[in-house]
Amino acid sequence: MNKIKTIARPAARKVTGCGECRSTCQSACKTSCTVGNQSCERITREADPEKIGK
Amino acid sequence: MVHVFSYKDKHYIYDTGSSSLHECDGTAALLLREKLGEPVDTSAVTPAERRACEEDFAELERAGLLFKEEVKEGPAKSGEVKALCLHICHDCNLRCRYCFADEGAYHARREFMSLETAKKAIDFLIENSGGRKVLETDFFGGEPLMNFGVVKETVLYAKEKAAARGKKFLFTLTTNGLLLKDDVAEFLNAEFENVVLSLDGRKEVHDAVRKTPNGKGSFDLAIENMKKFVRIRGDKKYYVRGTFTAKNLDFSEDVLFLADNGFDSISMEPVVTDLADLAITEDMLPRIGQEYDRLCDAFLAREAAGRGFNFFHFNVDLEGGPCLAKRVSACGAGNEYFSVVPNGDIYPCHQFAGDPAFRMGSVYGGTLDEGIRAKFRDSCLFTRKKCENCFAKFICSGGCSANNYHYNGDIDEPYAITCAMMKKRVEDAMHILAERKRREAGEG
Repeated sequence: MNKIKTIARPAARKVTGCGECRSTCQSACKTSCTVGNQSCERITREADPEKIGK
Repeated sequence: MVHVFSYKDKHYIYDTGSSSLHECDGTAALLLREKLGEPVDTSAVTPAERRACEEDFAELERAGLLFKEEVKEGPAKSGEVKALCLHICHDCNLRCRYCFADEGAYHARREFMSLETAKKAIDFLIENSGGRKVLETDFFGGEPLMNFGVVKETVLYAKEKAAARGKKFLFTLTTNGLLLKDDVAEFLNAEFENVVLSLDGRKEVHDAVRKTPNGKGSFDLAIENMKKFVRIRGDKKYYVRGTFTAKNLDFSEDVLFLADNGFDSISMEPVVTDLADLAITEDMLPRIGQEYDRLCDAFLAREAAGRGFNFFHFNVDLEGGPCLAKRVSACGAGNEYFSVVPNGDIYPCHQFAGDPAFRMGSVYGGTLDEGIRAKFRDSCLFTRKKCENCFAKFICSGGCSANNYHYNGDIDEPYAITCAMMKKRVEDAMHILAERKRREAGEG
């Protein structure tokens, strides 16, 4: 590449649409929360299963 | 679609189809804008530069990272319920002027939720949660700590019931902090996954709006309780959540004030109100955009100096963030998320609470209004036609259904002022992502 550098691209996933992530409104603000401000909690949970639950 | 934008002397390309972000030089940005049909002057670009850029564009396209076709259909949504907002108390010990909840009363009489109703709500959630393992309950108000006894008993009840069904609850609570005493803090720290503390920033900003019923400012008491709470919270999650209005468009000062006072997890939201002296209007958008940039610069400077903090709206995780299914599904209100008011009535979310047109049923029995539920279940990014040509659509999912409805009369009709602020925050968040990468690579 000459003039462009990739900063970020989505990681490959084994599971999508499992629905076990928190609902959008339960995060920080209850007025302008958006989906993209959240994480994939399946990844979080698997990294730290005791914290959120298996 | 492809979005080309600049932050000062940095130029970025965001490809919505692949959700990938690229950094480029000014010439590549210019030529890509030309390719997108934007009116730009490329007369100074040399043939060699043009050739180099075209090679890069082609390489990215081959790798599926530029002009990648977008997904066009949302996933079928399940009918499983996973979250409740429990209006544990329709009363408040503050009388904040901008309160969407009518200063805690929700346009009805002030009342507390009984333990019986709270238990019924928990039963409703568990019974309707199907195969979901992780359930959420947010204790909301008014001020939920005015009914702390019921909060406590409900948590214990929910944990016991969930354990018997192989499920687990995540509890959250939103409070103004006035009743955040030691025993309360201890319980919240032990049982709550997240606590949201409402504080608007500088004393004069906070006290101008967040007053007690006798008209006094609440800042001094709130901040002292919150500081103490956060000190003992350890590494457990919390947010200090402020609201900015037309009166403090210099809200980056409030965010930094909160950071200077030891709060390292901050959210600052634009007010949602019709009050003329507080409402955000279109003419304020350029000023608000500049303010987000000021905040972005200060945020990065502090982070580089080892004094970083978390700002909710600058969190955009393009690598490990939500899956596409989640990002096109909208917020889930009215389908997988409901709010329950003190008498047990069910609404799509807290912002519809008390509106008879949106009463969906009761935790005391009967079925949910399938007409209302279908409207929310069917709503997704692709039913929000105005989002079609927006670069931020897979990040915001069409915004808040309640805001859309309250401003435009339709949950699928995004509110333009919110959209403008969202797009600015997303660009700043992407710049932050790039700056962090540069820093990690030793380039920053």
